[in-house]
Amino acid sequence: MSEVVIKAESRTDFGKGAARKIRREHKVPAVLYGHGTDPQHLSLPGHELLLALRTPNVLIRLEGAVTEMALPKGVQRDPIKGFLEHVDLLLVKRGEKVTVDIPVTVVGEVADGILDQQMVSVSVEAEATHIPEGVEVSVEGLEVGTQVTAGELKLPKGTTLIADPEALVLIVAAPAAEPEAETAEGEATEGEVAEAEAENEAAEASAEAGE
Amino acid sequence: MLIPRRVKHRKQHRPDRSGAAKGGTRVVFGEFGIQAIEHSYVTNRQIESARIAMTRHIRRGGKVWINIYPDRPLTKKPAETRMGSGKGSPEWWIANVKPGRVMFELSGVAEPVAREAMRRAMHKLPMKCRFVKREVGEA
Repeated sequence: MSEVVIKAESRTDFGKGAARKIRREHKVPAVLYGHGTDPQHLSLPGHELLLALRTPNVLIRLEGAVTEMALPKGVQRDPIKGFLEHVDLLLVKRGEKVTVDIPVTVVGEVADGILDQQMVSVSVEAEATHIPEGVEVSVEGLEVGTQVTAGELKLPKGTTLIADPEALVLIVAAPAAEPEAETAEGEATEGEVAEAEAENEAAEASAEAGE
Repeated sequence: MLIPRRVKHRKQHRPDRSGAAKGGTRVVFGEFGIQAIEHSYVTNRQIESARIAMTRHIRRGGKVWINIYPDRPLTKKPAETRMGSGKGSPEWWIANVKPGRVMFELSGVAEPVAREAMRRAMHKLPMKCRFVKREVGEA
């Protein structure tokens, strides 16, 4: 489990004007809350935070305006450029158990068919300072029709599953036939719309006549 | 082709073209996606054409998701018609796509195949797009 030290500054001005000013200085507005405490508004260095957040569920040790440990709870990014707009941090204490989503990664190649991964992350409970980086599932040589459920995942020591153990993580499906016979369906849909349009026109005409 | 089965109003105003996508900006169903980086109206024909380009390249195997739906009608007046006499007749069905929107997703194929399939699909779309991958384990 990685731990990253980030220097935090306190934030006293709020609203979009103040937030944009912080972002222009290559910092990220953030909020820290948890354990029933009042939320603390912070600004964090943009580049360091961006690098830290590349690790899933990274444990952030804040220093400066506050001296606390936190986990990222919500990250808002610009959809085009990808820079951080705002971060929600959840206060955690050493030894405390937290519920987090860890990524499920697939290892190996299936023997036959297509691998359909239904669940890309799984909810687990773990100690805040020992959150696993992910869980691996080996699909080496799995046949068509094989299923892996959340209960079958081999979680690291000290981690317990929170998600439904019956939830489907992945399934090896039969390869689909080459899709070509699709024009007939499209024409049928167009026909239905044409009918719907005709109905609408008739309804409009009758409404106008009624007026 | 994607067309709404029933609509409440046959003719609508033209959708707002400003701003960025508010949701649907990440790859959630598949492993790879096509993200719009410009704004555009995407017609049902363009969606279908892109889907066919993708599925023909990946042949067997792989799964495609279409995350946009052309639920807005656009009207057009006939050529050489004088102005007035009401709004034209519905001509196209479009999806109003804003920058950042992930329009198509793909899974079950290797990355080079997905890249090529999506490059072919992007040529069928009316705006600048880019290939995106699912981000691992972000809060």
